[in-house]
Parts: sequence; C-alpha cells; structure tokens
Amino acid sequence: MTLSRTHILALLTLYAIILGLRILVEVVGPLGPITGQLLTLLAFYIALGQAFNIFLGMTGYVDFGYVAFMALGMYGMASGVVRAYEAGLPGYYGIVFGLIQTITLTSLLALIVGGIALRLRGAYFAIATISVNEGLRYLVEGLDIWEGSRGLIVSGPLIRLFGSEGFSLLATIISDIMVFSVALLALVISIVFLNTRIGYALKAIREDEDAARVMGVNTTMYKVLAFTTSGILGGLLGAAWSFKVASIYPPDAFNILYTIEAIILVMLGGAGTLAGPIVSGTLYGSLKYFLAGILPGFQLLVFAPILVAVIVVAPEGIVGALRAYIPATRRFIA
Amino acid sequence: MLEVLNVTKRFGGLVALKNVSLKIERGERVAIVGPNGSGKTTLFNVINGVYKPDEGRVLFEGVDITDLPAYRRAHLGIARAFQIPRPFPNITVRESAAIGALFGSYYGRIGVREALEIADEKLKLVNLYDKRFELTGRLTVPELKLLELARALASKPKLLLLDEIVAGMPPAMVDHLMLLVRRVADEEGIAIATLVEHVMRAVVRFADRVIVLHLGSKILEGGPEEVLRNPLMEEIYLGRRWSP
Amino acid sequence: MADITSILPYYIISGLLVGSIYGLATIGLTLIFGVLRVVNVGHGAYIMIGMYVTFWLFTLYSLNPFITLIPAFLVGLALGMLLFYVALKRLLRAPELSTLISTFGFGVILEELAKVLWGADYRGFVYSLGSLYFQGIPLPLVRVWPAVIALGLVIALYVLLYRTRLGVAVRAVTQDPEGAMVCGVDVERVYFLTVALGIGLTTASGALLAIYFQQGINPYIGHLYTLRAFVIAVLGGLGSPIGAFIGGLIVGVIEQASVPLFTMLGAPNPFGLSVFLTFTLILVILLLRPQGLLGR
Repeated sequence: MTLSRTHILALLTLYAIILGLRILVEVVGPLGPITGQLLTLLAFYIALGQAFNIFLGMTGYVDFGYVAFMALGMYGMASGVVRAYEAGLPGYYGIVFGLIQTITLTSLLALIVGGIALRLRGAYFAIATISVNEGLRYLVEGLDIWEGSRGLIVSGPLIRLFGSEGFSLLATIISDIMVFSVALLALVISIVFLNTRIGYALKAIREDEDAARVMGVNTTMYKVLAFTTSGILGGLLGAAWSFKVASIYPPDAFNILYTIEAIILVMLGGAGTLAGPIVSGTLYGSLKYFLAGILPGFQLLVFAPILVAVIVVAPEGIVGALRAYIPATRRFIA
Repeated sequence: MLEVLNVTKRFGGLVALKNVSLKIERGERVAIVGPNGSGKTTLFNVINGVYKPDEGRVLFEGVDITDLPAYRRAHLGIARAFQIPRPFPNITVRESAAIGALFGSYYGRIGVREALEIADEKLKLVNLYDKRFELTGRLTVPELKLLELARALASKPKLLLLDEIVAGMPPAMVDHLMLLVRRVADEEGIAIATLVEHVMRAVVRFADRVIVLHLGSKILEGGPEEVLRNPLMEEIYLGRRWSP
Repeated sequence: MADITSILPYYIISGLLVGSIYGLATIGLTLIFGVLRVVNVGHGAYIMIGMYVTFWLFTLYSLNPFITLIPAFLVGLALGMLLFYVALKRLLRAPELSTLISTFGFGVILEELAKVLWGADYRGFVYSLGSLYFQGIPLPLVRVWPAVIALGLVIALYVLLYRTRLGVAVRAVTQDPEGAMVCGVDVERVYFLTVALGIGLTTASGALLAIYFQQGINPYIGHLYTLRAFVIAVLGGLGSPIGAFIGGLIVGVIEQASVPLFTMLGAPNPFGLSVFLTFTLILVILLLRPQGLLGR
C-alpha cells in the first residue's frame, strides 16, 4: 500500500506535538501532569518501538538480543566522550567521535550476527541472538573492555568537557531531542521502507519466507537490511541515552529488560504497522511514569500479562486490530 | 525456452528424479502427469530453484540457471502458483498480488505504484478486484487459488509453473480457470507447465503436450490423445480409471 | 603446568556433578521443543521458582531440602498446566513468533510476581551434610547428592519415555504429530502432559540447584539458566532429552575447568570469559551443526 499523505502528516504532527511539548516544558515548566520526565519516557519508548519494529515487526524474527545494539551505542558514545576528554580535545569532538563509534560498532555487530544468525529460522535464531547478547556482555566483563565490570564513568568527563551547566542540559533536553531525532529517523525510514519494494519484501518474508523466495524476494539481503537498520537505530538510541547515566556497567547496559520492553512495544502497537509504536510507546511510557509514583517497578507486572493476552487473543496488536476489524481503516492506516 | 538436461535428484537414498530431460518452448502448454510420488513436485522445485539437482543442468532461454537461487529465477520470468496456496494472511489481497509484480520479471524496473496498478489489473482478470482490500487470510480456498494465479500473472512470467491448481476446485470453476489461463497465456505468450495427478479431460484439452513421470523417470511424452491411449498409462495407475 | 594437572581432576569431577543438574535443568526445555516445536524462552523462570520453593520451605519450616524436591516438582506440574492452557494451547498452529513471545511473556510474569512477593534481594541459606574426599580434596555432599538425584530423575524419565504407553505416545508425536494422530494418539493430551512434566522437571532441577549453590537466589537468576539451557540443548540436539543430559555434563566440565585455566592465563575476569566461551560455543554449533553435536 502506498501510505496516504494524511496518514504520514498525522504521524509527523503527533511527533511534533510531543517534541513541542518537551521544549515548552523546558521553558515554562511542567504543564499539570505533563512533566519533562514524562515526555522523556514517551520519546524513549516511541523511539525504541519504532526502531525495533523495523526488524521484529516487519520480518517477524524475534531478536532477543536487541539490547546489545543499545549497549554498544551507550558504550560507543561514552567511550568516545571519555577518549576526547583524555586527549584534551573539545567536547563536541567526543560526541562526533562517539557517533562514529556507535554506527561502526552497531553495523559491525549487525552484519556479523545478521550474516550468521539470519541463516537460522525462528527458534534457532532466537537462541542465537540471546547468546550473542550475553556473550558480548561477558566478553566486556571478561576482557575488561571499557573498564569491564568496574563501570565506565561518563559524568565526570562530561562535566569537565561541557561544564556543569552544559552537562545538565546535555543530560536532559539535548539528549531528549537526540532521542526524539532517533524516533523521527526510525519513522521516516519505516515510511520509506513501507512505501517501496523493501516493505513488500519484508512483509512477504514475515508471512512465508519460502514462498517469498520463490516469488523473487532475495530474502537474505532484505533480512540483513532490516536487521542492520534496526540495529543502528537501536545503537543511536543507546548513544543518546548514555548522556543520562553517570556510569555504564555491563549488566545494566546489556539488561534484557530493554529487549522485553521493545518486544512489548512492537507487539502491543501492532507488529509492522507504522502507527503502532506511537500508540504503544505513549501507553507504556505514561503507565511507567505514573506507576513510578505509586508502585515503582510494577510496569512489567502490568504489561507482561497484556503481552501474553495480545499474542493469544489479538496477535495483530492495537493498530493491526483496527485494520483487521474496521476495513475502512486499511486504506489509510499502516 | 526451458531445457532440463539429464537431471537427477536424490534425497538420502531415495531417487526422486532419475535422469530426466525435457524441453518447453515459448508459449507452449505442457502437462506433467504422474501419480503421487512420481517426482512431479521435485521437478518443479528443481526448475524454479528450491532444490539444486545432484546431476544435470537447467537452462532457461539458453542460459544455464542451475546454480541460480530461486529468487533470481523469478526475476528471469519463472513464476510458480502453488497447489496449496501460500497466502500471506495478514496483508491485503492487493498487496499480495503486488508482491508478485514487484519481484517478478519487472524486478528493479517498476515501483510500488505501478505494481499496485498491475495487481489491480490481474485481480480484475480473476474477479477478485472487489476484495482487493480484504486481508488475504480471509479468502476462501477457491479465492486463494485465484489470487495465487493473479499473483503469478502479475509477475509477467515467461514460464508459469502451475502446481495442481485445479485440485479440489468445483468442476465448473476448473473449466473457467483453465480457459482463463489459456487466454492470458495466449495473449502474453506465456509457456505453461502444469502438474496433474489424475488425467482429466479439462487438462487434456488444455495441454499441447503431455509428459508422464513415473517413479522419477520420464516414461512417456507426446500429444494428449496419444499419451492417453498408451497402454502404459493404465499400468501406472494400476487400473485406476481416469475421470471421463 | 604441574599445578593444573593436579587440580584438573577435581574440576572435572565438580563439572560432572554440576553438569548432571544442568542436564536435568535442560531436559524440560528440550522435551517441550521436541514434542511441541516450541522453545520456552521463559525457561529459567521455572528454575527460579523451584529454587524459591526449596528456599522458603527450608527457611520457614526447616523442611529437609531434599524433601522440597517433591513440592517443587508439583508446583512445576501446576505451572506447566497453566502455561499450556494460557499461553500455548491456542497458539499451536500460529507462527513461531507467537509462542516465542508468549512463553517469554509468561516467564516475565513469574519473575515479576516473584519480585513483588519476595523482593529483588539475593537470598540464601546454609545446609550442610559433610563431605566426601576425593584424592584429599573435599566434595561436599550437598553437591554430590543433588547430582545423583538428577541422574536418577533422568533415568526415571528415560524409563517413562521408553517403557510406558505415555512415553510411546510422546515419542510418536515427536517423530510425526499427524501420523500419531492418525494412529489414535490424543495429540493435545500429549502436548499438555509434556509441558506439565517438562516444567515439573525444570522446577525440580531448580530445587536441586538451590541445594547445590544455596546462595544468590533472586527473581532474575533464571536468565543465566535459560541461556545455559539453550547452550546445552543445542549442544545435545534441540529436542533430544538424552542429548541434553550429556550436553549438560559437557558444559558443566567446560565451565568448571575453564575458570582455573583462564586464571592461569592471567585473564582479568576468568568467570566472565568462561561464560563468554560457552556462548561462543552455541554460535559455532548453530552454524556448523544446527542439529547438535549429538544429533543425527
């Protein structure tokens, strides 16, 4: 389906509203329940869902090691900043260097894992990806890379590079805008994919890979493309997020919680749909935020049963269900 | 146009195809006949690249395609319509058909918009145009077979491999479908190879030439009437009467 | 070098001991995969539950930890039934993605429940039975007995699979579900019993692991066991219970023996590297022999 202009415009408007609110809150302070933290969470989860959707949603392969990309992004950015500080270079060198490291590391990981693991189907692929994630984590600890289990301290170098004023901006609004840019980039890439041959190839792969190949789809190429794109976006998200943490420890960076959240976001909104991650990111982010006050850390207890229910009852997710049960929406919602 | 040269395919100890050779010319309609287990489906899988033969070569338009992966063969213009339709249940009928167009012999030359136009055109042809926004998973089995055909045709094939597409369809629809395929194939010069388990009159009328496979070997080849009259046929089917 | 050869036998023996439990801890995963073609991505959560059953019954009621094996097994049976009816029954014909995510989600629910009920802190207990001596090196009996019991349970399972009607049905469904159905096997019942039994054995192995390690029980401890079970199952050939047991022994020995080896080589974090080694192993096997080292 070629996506309707209205649909794309509507999504972009939603993005603009959230970003606008974030900036507004920064200037005038919280608007009732809408605080900077809430909007940060929304941006993060929308970005996470939108980025992971490109792989899980569009191909139907479950990457249980997705957090490895975010971890490499966090480490890539943080170690870039630390290196710039140690070399006595100005701060923005560190950020540029960090971005280059993030993209290099995540594409390398994606190409290596994609080249190997994407030859495996379903269960075997899932097992391989979990192993890659844990393997990487223990490699970082075992060989003492990036300070290993002692943790890579970022806040110190950041404060010295940018001053405490600059650091606090970087840790809040600037990193939020970066997170936002990742979400937007992921949205734009999704639109491009869905509107071109790539999207059709990925849909065919998701529905029936063998049939897709017979119909002329170079399945390996498109799977690796989706995996790498989604992986680099995950890395960029990790890089943007790294400004918010004081130090990075392997168990936190490679925490499977992020993978769980990413899966929930994609499946709840509707795998492979364009609007799904916005819907589920908003739901999940707000619930996590509002629960944090009353029952901190309870969001998974709420969402894990919802995830199981969605898979069993409505595997097409919220947006997918709209498309399935209200035929008129199929023409314009993707 | 298609040449299969001395192809042998084994699965473990089982020989599924034994030294099979055949030719299909441009625009020709060939029925490949044989009982269950005769190697028909394996032959199709060798032609469109799902299996690589252990021995022998496959040539398409004079080019050796034996080592080409399945998807590259689709780009060259070999299309397949599966016996058991392989629907893409969660996408619309229109998108399903468009996938055929995007990755068939138009590959790399058309965009999504043109593919959707081609899809619409072929869906009109098989009478599914009204259901083009329906999810594929909701079609009935005969409708799925029509979609399978539309998708294959949308790829603008030079050679169309029809798995037993008529199996399990009501007789009236079989006639209609065969006429339709024949008309389109004539208009566009598509060669057709169709698999047939039981020799039916509709198929006999449809095919220019019949090839009979038995236990992996080609045992008969010729015009339909001639093949049907051959006493070997009765032996193969163990006295089973083909439908009138 | 003299150093390592003298301590190596000890590490091999303790590797075989822990490996025997690892083997049992993987059999549930591989059995369920063999019969239903479903990978229980939440596998480790059931091990965690088994550990807590032992921990609480021992801590609160001073129940002999070996006795807690029985309630742990029963809790597992019940959880397995629940898992089947809630998360699997309706998804048997769905795409693989569905069961991967539903079993994963079910595991997350158990972990989150455990966290809410018992907190995220590490818990442990002390229970001792004295030691055996092997060439002058002590082997605590709380490590020997769980390994022996694990072996016993594996043998019992083997008897069940090869000497009973249910076992024949299970193996028939593993080979060919449609064929089994035609032959009058109630396939859905076999699925149900397999999941219940598989999860029961998994929680039982959790109880044994708790006796073996006694410390560090927390709601998320299952993750490491999920991963280890994956390595072992793939090594032994996904779907083969006996392969899983042998794979468990191999992984146990590799883990135990590689730690002193990496220490000798001067690695900064020998434990981390040894875990890395096991996960690298999985990728190599998946690449070269996806049917497993011991598979056909």
